[in-house]
Amino acid sequence: MTPRERTPGNTSPTSRRRAPRRLLAGAAALVAAAVLTGCVQSGTAEGAYGETGNLSYWMWDSNQVPAYQKCADAFEIDNPEITISIEQYGYDDYWNKLMTSFVANSAPDVFVDHSSKYGDYSSRGLIENLDDLILADNVDMSQYVEGTAELWQGPDGHQYGLPKDWDTVALFYNEDMTTEAGITAEELGEMTWNPEDGGSYEQVIASLTVDENGVRGNEEGFDKGNVETYGLGLDDSGGGYGQVTWAMLAATTGWTYMDTPTWGSEFNYDDPRFQATIGWWRGLIDKGYMPPLSQTVGTALSSKLQVGAYAMVTDGSWNINTYDKLQGVNLNTAPTPVGVEGKRASTFNSLADSISVSSTQKGAAWEWVKYLGSIECQQVVAEAGVVFPSITAVDTIAEEKFAQTGFDVSAFTTHIDDKTTVLFPLSEAAVEIGAVMTNSMDKVMSFSAEPSSLTATDAAVNKLLSLEQQKE
Amino acid sequence: MSTTTSVPTPASPAPAAHAAGSGSPRRNHHSKAARKQTWIALAFVAPSLFGFAVFYLWPTIRGIYISFTDYDVFTSPVFTGLANYARLFSDETFANSARATILYVLINILLQTTLALGLAVLMHRLTQSTFVRSIVILPYLIANVVVALVWFWMLDFQIGIVNQGIQWLGGNAIAFFGDETWAIPTIALVNTWRHLGYTALLIFAGLQTIPKDVYEAARTEGASEWQMFWRITVPLLRPVLALVLVITMIGSFQVFDTVAVTTSGGPADATRVIQYYIFDLAFQRLDFGYASAVSVVLLVVLAIIAAVQLRLTRANESDLN
Amino acid sequence: MTTVQKTRPRVRPPLGKIFAWIAMGAFMLITIFPFYWMLRTALSNGALLATDPSSLLPVDFTFGAFERVLGIATTEEAQAQGGSGASLNFWGYLFNSVIVATAITAGQVFFGALAAYAFARLRWPGRNAVFFLFLLALMVPPIFTQLPNFLLMRDLGLINTYAGIVLPFFFMTPFAIFFLRQFFMGISTEVEEAARLDGAGNIRIFFRVILPMSSGPLATLAILQYIQAWNEYFWPLLVGSDESVRVLTVALGVFRSQTPQGQPDWAGMMAAALLAALPILLIFVIFSRKIVNSIGFSGIK
Repeated sequence: MTPRERTPGNTSPTSRRRAPRRLLAGAAALVAAAVLTGCVQSGTAEGAYGETGNLSYWMWDSNQVPAYQKCADAFEIDNPEITISIEQYGYDDYWNKLMTSFVANSAPDVFVDHSSKYGDYSSRGLIENLDDLILADNVDMSQYVEGTAELWQGPDGHQYGLPKDWDTVALFYNEDMTTEAGITAEELGEMTWNPEDGGSYEQVIASLTVDENGVRGNEEGFDKGNVETYGLGLDDSGGGYGQVTWAMLAATTGWTYMDTPTWGSEFNYDDPRFQATIGWWRGLIDKGYMPPLSQTVGTALSSKLQVGAYAMVTDGSWNINTYDKLQGVNLNTAPTPVGVEGKRASTFNSLADSISVSSTQKGAAWEWVKYLGSIECQQVVAEAGVVFPSITAVDTIAEEKFAQTGFDVSAFTTHIDDKTTVLFPLSEAAVEIGAVMTNSMDKVMSFSAEPSSLTATDAAVNKLLSLEQQKE
Repeated sequence: MSTTTSVPTPASPAPAAHAAGSGSPRRNHHSKAARKQTWIALAFVAPSLFGFAVFYLWPTIRGIYISFTDYDVFTSPVFTGLANYARLFSDETFANSARATILYVLINILLQTTLALGLAVLMHRLTQSTFVRSIVILPYLIANVVVALVWFWMLDFQIGIVNQGIQWLGGNAIAFFGDETWAIPTIALVNTWRHLGYTALLIFAGLQTIPKDVYEAARTEGASEWQMFWRITVPLLRPVLALVLVITMIGSFQVFDTVAVTTSGGPADATRVIQYYIFDLAFQRLDFGYASAVSVVLLVVLAIIAAVQLRLTRANESDLN
Repeated sequence: MTTVQKTRPRVRPPLGKIFAWIAMGAFMLITIFPFYWMLRTALSNGALLATDPSSLLPVDFTFGAFERVLGIATTEEAQAQGGSGASLNFWGYLFNSVIVATAITAGQVFFGALAAYAFARLRWPGRNAVFFLFLLALMVPPIFTQLPNFLLMRDLGLINTYAGIVLPFFFMTPFAIFFLRQFFMGISTEVEEAARLDGAGNIRIFFRVILPMSSGPLATLAILQYIQAWNEYFWPLLVGSDESVRVLTVALGVFRSQTPQGQPDWAGMMAAALLAALPILLIFVIFSRKIVNSIGFSGIK
């Protein structure tokens, strides 16, 4: 602390000493006032319906960028006054960046949206309600694969996106390893599963697991501490949705995410069927058939499959391209196992593009969104063989393209044919609920908590949900 | 991450560098000159004062105000009194982030201070070359983000070079960033690597103020290196060490960049340190009110630490005097 | 020709000293190795990294990673080497970093010098109070002011502008003021007295006498602050995410998150990291002595 120094020589009357101080105070007050009046500006800027200009378009899947760039190029030729700038951010960061951009009033004009996330945006009035635009331009909603348009109807019944693709989940396995283990493709296609003993699914996983001495998981002397190849791969704990991890199993027991397929008021993570599924799934780590969660940081399923660290993984149809490009390994697909009720299950999702309310070129944005959901663009995407487009008519093109990879595409389409799809659980407060569930599931899967702890998590999640719903 | 370089201890201000005015003022002339000086001084200080008022003071006031409200940026803030603070007590994530941060701070300080002391002494005794000091300071000049990425790669579980080395030595690969118990220590190690040189140079500068004759005297009395270190160096370095300790501590509490680029708070909240939690709350959960409350808590904690520093350095005017 | 031999016998260096040198060598190695590893990885073929992870030399030597990062490679080339087709608009981000760092440094040094002089040499009421206030400002953790500052920038409409990134740092940083004040107080008063006798006012004394005399510390301060401004991450992340104003550190974070669906693009990331660090490394090579000697200067007082 600076010792008090006598300001020497200042024996002038106090008034003169006070003058500069008063000025100081005055200046400070002025500044404060100026800043205060400009403060607490809330809400989002209401955009405008500009028809021309540059549109910023965000997406997360790097595989799809070339295809959509082609769409953008074609669109720009037809609409010379509109330019599209595509920006790609990885999925993990995408939602962070998006939310921050909403807060900062600098959201992209159009962005690829996820059915599980848009509830948070629609409830805050951040994305455009497309009902009127769809009506005005006579967009045919029946051209889309069943279930996809429904995923984009908000709790208020409004349409918040035009679906542009659909996806399901299946198994990718190493053909050489299954042959070595003496498992045929037919067997893989007929696997059964139940939460108690894992059915033939677990047996397959066990026989595909090989330890460093070459002993298989279902043989004597299997050393689960020194596994060379895991029968089933692991990427993360699945959070609240378990889309590519456990949902396809839990759903076969008759369990549902919420009380209603979408926009429910209560989650069912306290259900014993769900917890039994998680318990079984986690048990695989215990038995040495699946790697511990800590080893999954900084890697990807596909590269592990490629180097032979995993024999089989569960992944979504949006990654078919990724697996196809892997060199040095022969892969194929099989559908998810049949459950206790005699049916399979797979989470079903559809992506769509949303328009930000704060965009100043909403007219142009709608043109772009329409184009993205149109047959022309979907054909381009289908031919690139990256996703299943949502327009039924174009679907066959994609299926043919996928079939060229040599993969058995029916592993994915079977759910559409047999109607065994499970809609993504749409809800409000998705971000918060996601954070809570991911945290809990991470703990369960790393054995710091039991599956029964998910009951308490369920209560917390339901509380968040009801709090959010009360706000509306 | 310390964002400031060294803080001059306020305990030693200008020794009366101002000639106490001219010795023979005629009152009027002197007052006029003094007033003129005041105006000029104010003009000189004005920009800084403006910056301070607008970007330090006003945000502090506003931050404290928001901490008493429920504010999600898209609607007006709603006054909720002490609700946010009450929530702190039952918030497990907050307790967890406090624990993670404290663990990080402790490991970081311990490691950094001891290693830096060791390195400084080595430099002092072995070589005073600028080249060595330049090498040592290099990591500090690189952005946290870059450092974090490089170590994220080097410590990768699959093909990172460190694990390759460990396996070559016969051990098992360690999931540095993936294992809950390893995550925080790893982040601490990464940041230690970055700041070690800087801290060492600080201590090194302190070592240089210790007059050589003290050592000479000790040596003629037959003291060993070790004894000299513990009996002479450390006690005389106390003020510098105290300063270093506090700077490191304050800086450690604000770790963010490294976590953001590597683990994003995971696995399972193991690295969700306070600053990252605040960022999360504000920009993901859109809970600015609660985020501000947590920042206030952080502010109070750091203020206490700083106050302790003032006590320490004041009480510890260098034993040399 | 006889050479005079020193009669000191050759003594074997004591064991302690050997250990000390080994320890020093270890420190040096640990400090330098990651830089080398960055280079080695950046010059490797990303897709083949996994095949030879412990090789000390680049795996399949190629400039592909740099081409990828600089946006020179085509998407196919990029993806063939393990990249995602994402690129770092290096020159643009470099430009942004330069603008931001230069503006911040200029403001901090200039206004800091003004204020430091006022504290060191001028007498005025409230001087101690204000100094104490600035001292307090040093104690406040940045995160505490960054949230409200973000809201302020939002209200002023300065998000995603250079001004938004620069302003909070531009006018003052306590460190600069303390650093320069320390120095100014050490300047002998004779020079000032002489100038005053010649009739110079305070302002002229400052600009014509003091500043030129302080070129050394001013330069050092400028370098230190430049480096710090260059390395800022959190604030530019909040306020300057848009491509047009994105700085290198933020761009690096984005590049990291743009990992392709498969393995992270390690080679690309290391190339990007190297490029992001390069400007500072250059500054360092030129000014190393100054930087090294400035550490501790204000630390001991």
